[in-house]
Amino acid sequence: MSTEWEIAVVGGGVAGLTAARVAAEAGRRVIAYDRLSPGGQLVNLTTLHDYPEPGGSAEPWALISELVARAEAAGVTMSFDEVTRVHAGAPARLETSGGEVTAGAVVIATGLTNGRLGLPGEEALVGRGLSTCAGCDGPLYRGKAVAVVGDDEWTAEEALELAELASSVTVLVPGTPRWSPERDQRLTAADRVEVLTGAMVTGLRADGVLQGVTVRTGDGERELPVQGVFPYVGRSGPVGLVDGLPADAEKRLLTEDGVRTAVPTVFVAGDARAGAAQTLLSVVADGAAAGQAAVAALRPAGGGPAGGGLRIVDPTFGVLPDDADVEVRAGGTADWTQVALFTNSKPNATELLRGVGERLQAHWDLRDLGFASKDNASAAADKDTIDWLSQNYKMVVVAVGD
Amino acid sequence: MAPLLVTSTFLPLVEAQAKARRVSPRLIVVPHPVGGLNEGELAAKIETAAAELLTLADEARGAE
Repeated sequence: MSTEWEIAVVGGGVAGLTAARVAAEAGRRVIAYDRLSPGGQLVNLTTLHDYPEPGGSAEPWALISELVARAEAAGVTMSFDEVTRVHAGAPARLETSGGEVTAGAVVIATGLTNGRLGLPGEEALVGRGLSTCAGCDGPLYRGKAVAVVGDDEWTAEEALELAELASSVTVLVPGTPRWSPERDQRLTAADRVEVLTGAMVTGLRADGVLQGVTVRTGDGERELPVQGVFPYVGRSGPVGLVDGLPADAEKRLLTEDGVRTAVPTVFVAGDARAGAAQTLLSVVADGAAAGQAAVAALRPAGGGPAGGGLRIVDPTFGVLPDDADVEVRAGGTADWTQVALFTNSKPNATELLRGVGERLQAHWDLRDLGFASKDNASAAADKDTIDWLSQNYKMVVVAVGD
Repeated sequence: MAPLLVTSTFLPLVEAQAKARRVSPRLIVVPHPVGGLNEGELAAKIETAAAELLTLADEARGAE
């Protein structure tokens, strides 16, 4: 794969894929990076709200497919290397897990990190009572008490989704809610939802798994016995990813004019941008603006294409890589007696997989089956586990989806 | 080889990711959802998916 690009987009969510597509449609050689999978936050949503128009709703999967298909049709190259650092310059240098690459312009569209409460012992409870994905982990809390922490539209939607499953949902709002009157009405009407404003989570009680949270309100502190807590506060932007770019208190990158930053060849789109409206429609607009701005940044000051009217066209532009470029990690010396199961840990996925695996075990008279799983449903699979499976098993049956 | 058990709702996402990664996984599509089903409901889905997997697995082994 090339290491020299006209435009590099860091992040494969809605903003990133839109920026990449717009730039590629303008004839630029574009690479889009996402260390996990295309789709960004959409991957963890059950329903899209206020899309394709305000008040509307849609399933995220179709949109992700469309975004990827349109980007690829425009000639965008997708990479799943992780971009760890961007050094501004002409060209910019990007440090990635696959080596260093250069780009004439860079669009930062990483989105925000998952929510966190900022409390000791929190990370150890991820997947053991702490989650940031109602769509992924909600069924694990069927009939149990949960708390949702936050103040925005996303918080409200996640609480409403959990209310379909949990025995009770306590929404802990650190200040006052910022969600819309329409969502406020739905929360009020929901049977099992209680909203506490001015509520701070000050402690986590756990014994291997979460058993409760300590909540401070104007009336003092109290224990809330919940088996699950879903924080949508403490999300932060990609400060430090790009040399010298200032950020706001939430570590989102500051821009000077729309998507432009203090660095002429670096642009920011989507939730990573300070002040961005966190709606799908605004993110699409942001991505398009960033893609156009990145293309414009490559043009010389007098306008027209780079190179004084002569443009060198890469003859491989838009051509799919040959097989040699496709990353394949075939297993070592395993034979057909070595079969394993790998579950994504979503509700009932493991049970489905084991049931299917038992049938195969009996059919092939296998002595046993290997087994591995993701730590939790909303996290990426561990690379070492994937490598171990590929090296030790001839076939691995994988559960994806739920 | 790594056959994927995927529920129908997630199929477009899996196909998009596979396309982006330039791979063509062997897919066994199970009607969505799986989460929240009781034992009997899940058993029916296991039966259907297992039948597909056995065929696919036999073919793959026989092709070598």
